[in-house]
Amino acid sequence: MSCSVRLDGVTLDYFIYSVKAQSLRNAVFNLAVGGNLYKSQGDVTVVRALENVSIDLKEGDRLALVGHNGSGKTSLLKVIAGIYEPQKGSVEINGNLTSMIAHGAGLDLEASGLQNIRKLGAMRMLPKKVVEARIDSIVDFSELGDFVRLPVKTYSSGMMARLMFACATEFEADILVLDEWLGAGDAAFIKKASDRMEGFVDKAQMVILGTHNFGLVERVCNKVIELSAGRTVFYGTTADWAAWRNR
Amino acid sequence: MEALQAAFRDLIDGVRLAPLWLNLGWEQTAARFRRTVLGPFWLTANLLAMSFALSFVFGELLGNGNWRSNFALIISGILSWTITGGYMVDAANTFIAAGDLMNTMRLPLTFHVLLMMHKNVINFLAQLIALWVVLFLLKLGAVPDASILLSLPIVLINSVFISMIIAMPATRFRDVFQSVTFSVQVLFFLTPVFWTPAQIKGKRSIILSLNPFAHLMELIRQPLLGNTPSLVHWEWGIGLMFVLGAITVTMLTFYRKRVVFWL
Repeated sequence: MSCSVRLDGVTLDYFIYSVKAQSLRNAVFNLAVGGNLYKSQGDVTVVRALENVSIDLKEGDRLALVGHNGSGKTSLLKVIAGIYEPQKGSVEINGNLTSMIAHGAGLDLEASGLQNIRKLGAMRMLPKKVVEARIDSIVDFSELGDFVRLPVKTYSSGMMARLMFACATEFEADILVLDEWLGAGDAAFIKKASDRMEGFVDKAQMVILGTHNFGLVERVCNKVIELSAGRTVFYGTTADWAAWRNR
Repeated sequence: MEALQAAFRDLIDGVRLAPLWLNLGWEQTAARFRRTVLGPFWLTANLLAMSFALSFVFGELLGNGNWRSNFALIISGILSWTITGGYMVDAANTFIAAGDLMNTMRLPLTFHVLLMMHKNVINFLAQLIALWVVLFLLKLGAVPDASILLSLPIVLINSVFISMIIAMPATRFRDVFQSVTFSVQVLFFLTPVFWTPAQIKGKRSIILSLNPFAHLMELIRQPLLGNTPSLVHWEWGIGLMFVLGAITVTMLTFYRKRVVFWL
């Protein structure tokens, strides 16, 4: 099974409704964070979240998305996951894709960990037998032990991250899209998670990871894209990126 | 042209995901009644309380003083209303309620509407069983007419289209959501849910002949009471399906991409 991700000149605008465009515009221009606010139409404010972003990934690639808060990492992940369709540019995805973008997304807080594993399996349209067969390894990997029988609302954010990551990787997908929530896990878990993601290269799977953890980037990823205010400021291999950063 | 194709693809993909929304619909219905004692029987209790109260008062108002004479008509009317009009409040809230999921996973818009409608159908079926039990105990029951096998799909397709047409603007303009809540209440009174068409005469009968919801409701209620719906209701039901379908496709063509930004 071959998979690929190609983005060509992607430009994404957010339309923000019912805010006083003028005053917000002035306020946001003065902030160090955020995309480019470039025009407003009455009560609608338009934020350019991504501008002319292109990436090209083949099987086995592990791409890190870095950049400060509000630079467009999550927007780009959502475009790759197909949640947002960009106004300009083309998106071509081959292979089946699993996205876990927001922290706790897709989890039912009232239901137990086990019920959530089954639910996440069902959301991926996996047959019940396949899900049941994976439950033990998911519980093992997440190290939740007897906590899997408790409602997810009792979990810490690190425990939720463990559960989500274990499900995302056990229910095999060709392309895995993850955001910063992985950082909620402790050091031991991040080590374990990065070992697993490194293993993806052998299975010709792809990881796209939004993160602020440079250690994780260097350990796991072979490519890096750095964004600033929605524009690509660096795109290349991890080694080149490390050199570029220290220049 | 591409946008039009994408609109049709959205509808087709939504239908194709049937295993997923069927599954999720049952699960979310179970979750809704988690930690309640009566569980889904709360819906039954609601239906019975409403029907008894309305038939008690209206039996008096209509001058025959006997609640039994109208009971079967009223209870089947209220039940039919759940899938011919009552669902519209849920419909307006569809994308707003599904916001978390829409921001997590790529799914066609039609999927969310079908999931919402499926939950309403589950409620309808749960109450339908209760309706038969109660009517049987009161010796008011009738054998349902086979025409329901055709009229139910027609009504549900119409309801799905109406939901799509309401849900998109209700996400963009939150006033639409509020106005739907109140319009559904008004429509409930303008549709012969708990009164009979024979009771309205003169110019006002226009609210019957030109009220699409009245025709859709009769397509469900008449078979439940053991009658075949008259031809005019079928004509409206089938005609609406095409008109509403065309509006849905047009709206999807123009607004499908944007809905997620309106959340």
